[in-house]
Amino acid sequence: MKVERYVYDEIGRPYPRKNRYLAELAELDAELETADPKRAKELKAKRSELEKNKSSHPHIVKLKEARKAEREFLAELKRESAAYKKSLSRASVQVVKWRLEYFQAEKKAAFYEPLVDLDYDFELAYKAAETQIHRLPLMLETRAALEAKEGRLKAELEAAKGQDHSSAEAKIKAYKEERQAQADAEIKQIKQLQKQGQISARAYRNEREQKIRAAKEDIRAREMTHPLKTLKSQLENVRHHLRVDPESERRVLNSDLSDLRRRIPVETFQQRAYKSWLALLVPGLGQVLNKQYVKSIFFFLLTFIIYFINLPYAMGKHNYRGEGLAGLINLAAGRSRVDRSIIFMIEGILAVCLLIIAIFLFYFSFRDAHRVEKNKIKGTRPYNWFETKNSISRNGFPYMVSLPALILIIFIVMVPIFSTVLISFTNYDPSHQSKFVWSGITNYREIFLGQGVAGGPFWKILGWTVIWTLGASSLAIFIGFFLSLIAHQERIKGKRIFRTIYLLPWAVPAFITIMMFSVMFSPGGPLAEILESLLGYPFNVKNDTYATRVVLILLQGWLGSAYVFMLSTGVLQGIPGDLYEAAHIDGATAFQQAFKITIPLVLYRTAPLLIGQYTFNFNNFSIIHLFNGGGPFNPSRYGNIAGSTDILISYIYKLTIVKQYQAIGAAITIVISIFLLIITWYGYRNSKAFKEN
Amino acid sequence: MQKKAQDKKSRKERKKEKLYLSDRPPLTPLAAVMLAISYLILIFWAFVILWPLLQMTLASLNGSLGNYISLGGTYTLSLKHFKYLFTETHFLLWTKNTLVIAIATALLTLLVVSFTGYAYSRYRFSGRRASLMAIMLIQTIPAFAGITAYYTIHSIISAIIPSFSRQMWLILIYAAGGIAGNTFMLKGYIDGISTELDDAARIDGCSNMQVYRLIVMPIARPMLAIIALWSFIGPFLDFMLPKILLTDPKQYTLATGLFTLISDMRNMNQPAFAAGGLLTAVPIIILFITLQKQLVSGLAQGSVKG
Repeated sequence: MKVERYVYDEIGRPYPRKNRYLAELAELDAELETADPKRAKELKAKRSELEKNKSSHPHIVKLKEARKAEREFLAELKRESAAYKKSLSRASVQVVKWRLEYFQAEKKAAFYEPLVDLDYDFELAYKAAETQIHRLPLMLETRAALEAKEGRLKAELEAAKGQDHSSAEAKIKAYKEERQAQADAEIKQIKQLQKQGQISARAYRNEREQKIRAAKEDIRAREMTHPLKTLKSQLENVRHHLRVDPESERRVLNSDLSDLRRRIPVETFQQRAYKSWLALLVPGLGQVLNKQYVKSIFFFLLTFIIYFINLPYAMGKHNYRGEGLAGLINLAAGRSRVDRSIIFMIEGILAVCLLIIAIFLFYFSFRDAHRVEKNKIKGTRPYNWFETKNSISRNGFPYMVSLPALILIIFIVMVPIFSTVLISFTNYDPSHQSKFVWSGITNYREIFLGQGVAGGPFWKILGWTVIWTLGASSLAIFIGFFLSLIAHQERIKGKRIFRTIYLLPWAVPAFITIMMFSVMFSPGGPLAEILESLLGYPFNVKNDTYATRVVLILLQGWLGSAYVFMLSTGVLQGIPGDLYEAAHIDGATAFQQAFKITIPLVLYRTAPLLIGQYTFNFNNFSIIHLFNGGGPFNPSRYGNIAGSTDILISYIYKLTIVKQYQAIGAAITIVISIFLLIITWYGYRNSKAFKEN
Repeated sequence: MQKKAQDKKSRKERKKEKLYLSDRPPLTPLAAVMLAISYLILIFWAFVILWPLLQMTLASLNGSLGNYISLGGTYTLSLKHFKYLFTETHFLLWTKNTLVIAIATALLTLLVVSFTGYAYSRYRFSGRRASLMAIMLIQTIPAFAGITAYYTIHSIISAIIPSFSRQMWLILIYAAGGIAGNTFMLKGYIDGISTELDDAARIDGCSNMQVYRLIVMPIARPMLAIIALWSFIGPFLDFMLPKILLTDPKQYTLATGLFTLISDMRNMNQPAFAAGGLLTAVPIIILFITLQKQLVSGLAQGSVKG
C-alpha cells in the first residue's frame, strides 16, 4: 500500500510527516512512481527491507520509548492528581474540577514539550495543555470574582434587612400614588375626547391601555430603587451568572481544543481501511474501533433494533398472522382457513419496509465508520464527542425533526399504496376473499378491453367522469367568476350582503347541502313537487340518468361557484384602480377593460387553484355517492355494479367496499393515480417555485 | 332686465338640483338598464342560494312534518325534530367523535408539520430536493388509493395494541395524508421570513430548536393557525374515509351519522336530518365567514408557492 508524503487535514491542507519511518517509505513510493523498471526493482527491494526492519528503525524505537514513558507519566499523574484533589476538597465541584485540570495541564505541558517533534499526537497533547493553562486561570478568576461578589451581596442583604427603610418606602409609596393619579387624570382626559367624538372608542381603549401600562412600568422601575429589592435582584443576577457561565466557558474551551484537533493531523501505520468492512454487520463496532465510544452507543442501539425487530419480522417472527417476506410470495396458499392472503401480503410489505430500513441503517453506519477510518489514514483526526455533537446539531437537525413525518408517511401512506399496487396484480374478487393468487396483468387487460363483470363499464364510466369533471368545474368557475365581475361593479350597492350570501355554499359543509338536495329531489320533496307543477306530470329526477347527470352538474356549479367567487373577488379587489383610469384615458371601453385587464389578471392569479377544482371534481366522491348513490341503475349498459352516474372514484368504492372486487378496484386506482402523477409531475417540473429551490 | 331675471331664476333652479359630486361619468340610460340587469342577476343568484338553505331551516322547525320533507301541508313551529335528534339518535355522540377526531388531527398535524416546514425552509441538506418532489407526487395520489389496506393494517396494529381504535386510525390517516400539502404551505410561508432574524438569534447563542421556538414560530403563527384550522375542519367535511372505516353507529362522525337519517329506511327522518345539518352548519358558517380571508390566503399560499 502506497504511503503519502504528506498528511492532510479536513480542508486539505498538507502537513509534512513527523514519523521518519513513514516519511522514508513515502519517499520511496514517490520515487517508485517515476522510476524505470530496473530502478524500480531496486527501490522495491529497499522498501521491503525497510518494512522488515521496522521495529529497529531509529524513529520507531524512539517513539516506542516515548510511548512507554508516556504511560508511566500518565499513571504517575493519576496518583498525583488524586493526592492533589484531596487538598482541594473544600471548594465547589466546579472549582475542584478546573483546578485539577490546570494542575494536570501544567504537568502535561512539561512532559510533552520535548516530544513535540516526534509525533503529532504529542504535539496535540502539548498544545492542548498549553490552551488549558492559558484559559483555566481566567475561568477560575472570573468565577472567584463572581463568588466574592455573591458573598458580599449576601452580607449586604443581611445587613440591609435589619435596617429601617421606611423613608425609602414612603418615597416609593408617594411616587406610586402620584403616578397613579397622573395616569387617572390622563385617562379622564382621553375619555373626555372620546365623549366629544374626537377619537373613536377603539382609539380610546388603546390609549387607555397604553397609559395604564406606562404607569405600571414607571412604578415598577421606581420600586426597584428600594435597597432590599436592588440587592436581591443583584444577587439573583450574580447567581444566574454562576449557573450559566461555567457551561458557556467550558464550551469555549472545548471549541478551542477542537480547533487544535482540526489543525493538528494524525499519522497512522495503517494504510488500508479494513476495520469498517469487518464491522459491516454490527453497526457500532466500527465506531468503537475508531475510538468514538459515545457515538458507538447510538449505533449499538441501531444494531439492537435491526437484530431484534427488523430482521426477525422480515423472516416471519412476531408476525400477526403472516410469514414476513415469504408471505408476500406464497400469499397464504395452502395455509389454514383463518390465514387470509391480504394479511400475508401486507405483512410482507411491512417486512420489505423494515428490511429496507435495516439495509439503510447498515449502510448508514458503515459509511460513517468507513469515512472516519479513511480520513484518519489521510491525516484527519476523528471527531471527539463534543465535535460530533456539534456536527449533529448542525447537519443532522433537519433529518431528526423530519423523522416522525417520514415514519408516518412510510407506514400510513406508502404501505397502503404499495399494497394497492400489488393487489392490482392478483385475483382478489368475491370468490377469492380469503385466498387469492398472483394473476399478472389480467386485471389491467380486463379494464382496457372493457371485459368482465367489473371491468366492463370502465370506458363508459371514464367518459362520464371526464364530462362530469369538465362540465361541473367549468360551470362553477364560470358562475363564480361571472358573479364576482357583476358584484364588483362600482355602482352596485350592498356588496357586503351579496358577498356574504354568495359565500354560503362554501361555508355550509358540502355533505349537508348535497344530502339536503337529495332529499328535496326525492319523490314528494319540495323540488320534486315544484318540478311536477312545472311539467304537469310527476317526474323523478333520480330515476332518469340524464336528468340526474344534469342536476349533479348544476349542483356542483352551485357548490363550487362560491369558492371561485371568493377567490376572484379577492383578486379583483387587489387590482389597482389606476390601471382602469389609464385605460379609460386611452379610450378603452368597459368591455375592452374587462377583457384586457380584469379577466387576464384574475385568471393568471387564480389559475393553480382553478386547476385544483378540476382534480377535486375528478375525485368528488361525496356528491355522487350522497346525491343518488351513483344511480339510477342501468344493468343493460353499466352492469350490476356501477350505476349510470358513477364516476371512477365512486365506482372504485363500490368495487372495493360494496361488491368486493378489490383487485379490479386497485387496478383502476393505479391507472388513475399514474395519470394524476404524470399531470402533477409535468405541472410542477415547470413551476417557477420549484425551480427556485 | 329680463335676461337678468332669467339668470337669477336659472341660478335658483340650479341650486335646487342636487350637486353632482361623483367622479364617475353620469348614468346613461344604457348603463342604467345594465345596472338593473346586474341587480336582477345578483338577486336571482342570492335567491338560488338561500332557498334550499331556507327550506332546510324551515323543515327542521316544522312540527307537522313526519319522516319526510315536503312543501305542502300546514306549518307548525316546533322543536320536536331537534328533540328527536338529541334523544332518539346518537347526534351528541357523533358531534363528540367528530370533535375528538378533528382536534387530535389538528394537533398531530401541527406537531409534525411545524418541524418539517421549518427544516425544509431553512436547511439545505442532501436529499432535500428529491424528497420535496417525492412528497409533492405522493400528495396527488388520492386518499382512497389505500382503502383495501386500511382495514387490514388496522387489524394488524390492533392485534398488537388492543386499545387502538378505528377512530385513532382515522386520525393517523388524516394527519399523515396532510403532511405533504401542509409542509409545502408552511415552507412557503417561512421562506418569506427573513433569515437575518435567525442569524441574529444564532449569534446570540440560540440552538436550532430555540431559533424555531423563539423566532420563526411566533412569526409563522398565522400560517400555523391556518394549517390547524384546515386540519380541524377536514374531518367535519369528509365523508368517504369515516364511511369506509367506521362500522359502529356509535363511532360515526357527523357526516356518516347524519347520512343514516336519510339513507336508511328503518330510521329515516328527513326533518331530523335537516335539524342536525343546521346545528352542524351554523358554527362552521360562522367560522368560515369570520375567517374567510385567512382561510383563502392559506390556500393561495400553498398552491402558488408550492
